[in-house]
Amino acid sequence: MTVVFRIVLIVASIATAYFMLKKIQQSKVKIEDSIFWILFSVMLIVLCIVPQLADFMAKLLGIKSTVNFIFLFIIFLLLIKNFLLTIKMSQLGHKTEELIQKIAIDEKLREKE
Amino acid sequence: MNILIIIPAYNEEGNIVRVVENLKSNYSDYDYIVVNDGSKDNTSKICHNNNYNIIDLPVNLGLAGAFQTGLKYAYLKGYDYAIQFDADGQHRAEFIKTMYGEIKKGYDIVIGSRFLDEKKPKSLRMLGSNMISKAIKMTTGVRIQDPTSGMRMLNRNLIREFAVNLNYGPEPDTISYLIKQGVKVSEVQVSMDERIEGESYLTFSRSMKYMLRMIISIVFIQNVRRRDKRFVSESGGQSK
Repeated sequence: MTVVFRIVLIVASIATAYFMLKKIQQSKVKIEDSIFWILFSVMLIVLCIVPQLADFMAKLLGIKSTVNFIFLFIIFLLLIKNFLLTIKMSQLGHKTEELIQKIAIDEKLREKE
Repeated sequence: MNILIIIPAYNEEGNIVRVVENLKSNYSDYDYIVVNDGSKDNTSKICHNNNYNIIDLPVNLGLAGAFQTGLKYAYLKGYDYAIQFDADGQHRAEFIKTMYGEIKKGYDIVIGSRFLDEKKPKSLRMLGSNMISKAIKMTTGVRIQDPTSGMRMLNRNLIREFAVNLNYGPEPDTISYLIKQGVKVSEVQVSMDERIEGESYLTFSRSMKYMLRMIISIVFIQNVRRRDKRFVSESGGQSK
């Protein structure tokens, strides 16, 4: 990893964390949903500060270039997040359906009385 | 005494009757409200059949959402104090009086603490509790002996603040944030019972996730949060 690449990653990570914390200050996001992004930033920063860690992992997985390991790592984390978000979205959709139906049926029952 | 006992209940058909009957017959000075958090068992039916005071949430919101519902109700009904009370029978109503006595001294939040006078037993869960205590001590300088205790009493100002805001879950990280903002928090010694029926929600993996979330939240996030100015002057804190 070149020094420039590491610096860019660190700056991007700090910006991510800063943006999330800002959103929490504005009460725009729930803390439990922000934890992933804070952890994500911290992990990237650690990998950039201690490049030996990424070198070691790359070697272990048989990846020639350490940057490729970083890319793989980021893609992997984002895939997991995407997967979890899909599940959460389904659940939210289901809850909305139930709520809408309940309101409509309650209204109908009240109409009769 | 203008106290509302808020009992969030999720699938507590085995415990709810015992808990509410005890409150009704022995502690009728206090009002109570059961908040049924979209239970899939007969919790709601049992409460309605027995004419208990109950709010039914049509979908499951989780503990934070259910408790907040109770607080909104407490605020609308004009209660001066509200207390979070477990539906599984772990909390003992005899200590509400002690907590009331403490909050009357001018505190905003009073925690029913298991470990104020008594030593913490050494277990994995208590290790977690200790770590949260340390994190709060580190960021606020205040020692909370039993941060994970679910038995907390709030005064009227805090009822309002909890009722209308995002990120005010009934968890140690909110307590840490509020202490940092100058809210006065106290603890009184209580004892708790083991749950009798049903299973605890906290499995090992959930406990680990919870711990991680709490530590990150207390150390990194709560420090940078700012409090809505509408709530600052009323309950002490920064303005003093």
